[in-house]
Amino acid sequence: MSEFVQLLVAGLTTGSFYALIALGYTMVYGIVRLINFAHGDIFMVGAFIGWTVLSAVAAMHLPWGIGLLIAVLVAMMLTGGIGVIVERFAYQPLLSAPKLSILITALGVSLALENGVLLIFGPRFLTYPHLISNAGFTLAGAQISDVQVGIIVLSFLLMAALYVFVHHTFIGTAMRALAVDRDAARLMGINVERIIQITFFLGSTLAAAAGVMEGLYYTQINFFMGFIVGLRAFTAAVLGGIGNIPGAMAGGLIIGLLEAFSAGYISSRWTDVIVFLVLIGTLVIKPTGLFGERVVERM
Amino acid sequence: MQGLTRRPLATAGIAALIVAAFIPFFCHNYIVDVALTIVTYGILALGLNIVVGYAGLLDLGYAAFFAIGAYTTSLLETLTGLNFWETLPFSIVFAGIAGIVIGYPTLRLRSDYLAIVTLGFGEIVRIIATNLDITGGPNGIYGINPANFFGHDLTAPKAVYTLALVFLVGVLILVIRLGQSRLGRAWTSLREDEAAAEAVGVPTLRVKMLAYVIGALIGGLGGSLFAARFGAIDPTSFTYAQSVSILIIVVLGGRGSIPGVLVGAIVVAGLPEALRFLHNWREFIFAVALIILMLVRPQGLWPARLRHIAAPSVDEAHATPHADPAEQIAETTAGEPDVLLEARDVSRVFGGLKAVAGVNFTVHRGEILSIIGPNGAGKTTVFNCLTGVIPPTSGAIIWNGRPLTKLAPHKVVARGLARTFQGIRLFDNLTVFENVLVGMDHRFHVSLASEMAALPYARRETHLHHAAGRNWLEFVGLASQAGLRAGDLPYGDQRRLEIARALAGQPQLLLLDEPAAGMNPTEKQSLMGLIRRIRDLGTTVLLIEHDMLLVMGVSDRVIVMDRGQVIATGSPQDVQSNPRVIEAYLGSDEEDEEDAPEISSLPAGALA
Repeated sequence: MSEFVQLLVAGLTTGSFYALIALGYTMVYGIVRLINFAHGDIFMVGAFIGWTVLSAVAAMHLPWGIGLLIAVLVAMMLTGGIGVIVERFAYQPLLSAPKLSILITALGVSLALENGVLLIFGPRFLTYPHLISNAGFTLAGAQISDVQVGIIVLSFLLMAALYVFVHHTFIGTAMRALAVDRDAARLMGINVERIIQITFFLGSTLAAAAGVMEGLYYTQINFFMGFIVGLRAFTAAVLGGIGNIPGAMAGGLIIGLLEAFSAGYISSRWTDVIVFLVLIGTLVIKPTGLFGERVVERM
Repeated sequence: MQGLTRRPLATAGIAALIVAAFIPFFCHNYIVDVALTIVTYGILALGLNIVVGYAGLLDLGYAAFFAIGAYTTSLLETLTGLNFWETLPFSIVFAGIAGIVIGYPTLRLRSDYLAIVTLGFGEIVRIIATNLDITGGPNGIYGINPANFFGHDLTAPKAVYTLALVFLVGVLILVIRLGQSRLGRAWTSLREDEAAAEAVGVPTLRVKMLAYVIGALIGGLGGSLFAARFGAIDPTSFTYAQSVSILIIVVLGGRGSIPGVLVGAIVVAGLPEALRFLHNWREFIFAVALIILMLVRPQGLWPARLRHIAAPSVDEAHATPHADPAEQIAETTAGEPDVLLEARDVSRVFGGLKAVAGVNFTVHRGEILSIIGPNGAGKTTVFNCLTGVIPPTSGAIIWNGRPLTKLAPHKVVARGLARTFQGIRLFDNLTVFENVLVGMDHRFHVSLASEMAALPYARRETHLHHAAGRNWLEFVGLASQAGLRAGDLPYGDQRRLEIARALAGQPQLLLLDEPAAGMNPTEKQSLMGLIRRIRDLGTTVLLIEHDMLLVMGVSDRVIVMDRGQVIATGSPQDVQSNPRVIEAYLGSDEEDEEDAPEISSLPAGALA
């Protein structure tokens, strides 16, 4: 029982990262039909910006809570800005070009971000400043740390905020309109380019938040950390039904739990095989993912 | 290589290959090594190009087939002592089987979902190779023998390079021939518009599968070559990054373009070598260069050109036996019963909406029958049920006395029902002539192998195919536009081309969905003439149309639908005076007492 709870909490924690990142994949896909292969690296950039700010803040001897808040916010804003810049220069000119062309620039951006960070920070692992104690509590025999609880709570708050934003603001409505029909949205006077940029901004800020939390949780970061996390988060978005926001959240948590339990009960060497087999099995049964709508083609 | 326009390209290509063959004699081993890498990537990219470029399927796990080929050769050599040439067939076959295993359950998925599934498959293969003992785990397999050629071990880079170049030439011939074959045309139609391809008789699932499997075979070949070259393999050569590199070659070079793919291989495999002087900055600069190249040339460095198949001349086409439209149609309609089609209680529900609610009607051979009704009456849904695009929720469709339900659209076409679409759905990036050829493809049965080998009977069939296609273009009046890109035709011509494409499949019943939409009065007049001429050939016509002038002028009988039901059937005159029809179009007396005019007093076109 204690092992089960331990794995459950660990799975929910990593699942929260995946969910936050999966939201970026799914929002961008929903609006411009692009699999943004650079998104995992945006997450990585967020972790590095967070590390830089935290290191600077740590030297100023502020209370840890304030330092952390500053780091998360700065990382979110700067990474969001990078997301917008990437969209403006690498994607926007190709929005009406063949879909594969923009996919290749996304892969190029991914490579450029990884190697850019490599050039600036070097190839070694960086250690996150030790701000939060490892203290925690015991639940049903399992050790649960404050960091885990903080991550899960903050992730759910961010997801709730996004959900409210998308469903109860004008910009959110415009985003959903774009997802249905970009041209019709444009004809209704929506500034399509701006909404697309806002989407990239939001997706990137969520990924940055996940990046800082990942740094705090695993304490070490590296320039290639975005690949495997991005892959899992993308898998999560597809599992939930790409383009569907609650689907991405659910998919992220499912992948996190699958990872934790397969590592705990089988072997972490087979985690990815299990994750992908579950994904393929799901898609064979339900071709548009768990929450995806069946697309009826009009003749 | 038909037509003068293609000769310069072929000549330049052969010249380039000859130059490539002499590289070992002039260049340093380092250059030969880089050239060998380029050739290997070239082979792999030509294989992936079939999947991504020809058929338009996104594959992010192509390295898996490369891995299966490499591991098959390595394991068979080290465990059973077979030599390179003996392992080669196994590599290719195993890669092909892997293609079937992953393709069969997943090729129904939409392209973006397919991307993650193939990515996952690639990762699964790599992780299995990393974790199993028999594959040597993370260390891989050592001591693989080089390929042996009449007693000489091909170990020197120059010898391996020459072998690889021979493989490349073989693969080149294969993919060029495939691109020119009927299968190649079917792949392109799939890439252009999958639903339309299915609806004109292309068995899309099988065609996708063939793209996937043939791509896999070439990947397996590349893997064997790779193992023999290095004498050792390990899982790090078969990563997602490897799959991505091959994909970048195809897209950067130009999807579907063979010279493009080879240029892409030179850039992607060669540029990092050329950038070595940048040291740490190399990868970063390469990434930026990739983005810029893609922004500057979104279609690729050397985009695929429109494939031109010369249509036979008028005389030649007329002189070909069995290629005349009337004769073609007569072949299919001989000896079939008088009632062509019967819809029995057909219903279709979408969510809570009953789009079609128990429709009954019959279509008699040789008539022109129109279905009219207000928007949302369920007319197009009836068409979709008849042609297998969507299955009816209940009811039966009887075709020539036999049930026609739950067949895939391409099988319905093969039975003799062809259709056009409400919104035009041509294969824009094929020529006008090729659009028609795709439409008649399902009638031809020569095997792919004999077609590619250009056996005499295969050539005869191709000749008939082309002559018949030429005659259908002439039938609708588009013969002189045969070589144009279909997407460049004016609107009215696109409509007629869609009709020609449907007719080319020798249908017994032609279903036209609002063919006059957007046409001017002159075009409508000529369309009426065309519809009559189609009927005179012996093809029955079922027409959905809002233009009452056209409907009343051309139809033998009219079916009126409203809210998913048939409310009247009869001659044009009967239908026009039917009170229920007037009510459906103009509202009932209770709703609109004073303004409802007598329909009989209106001219025939008033309902439009």
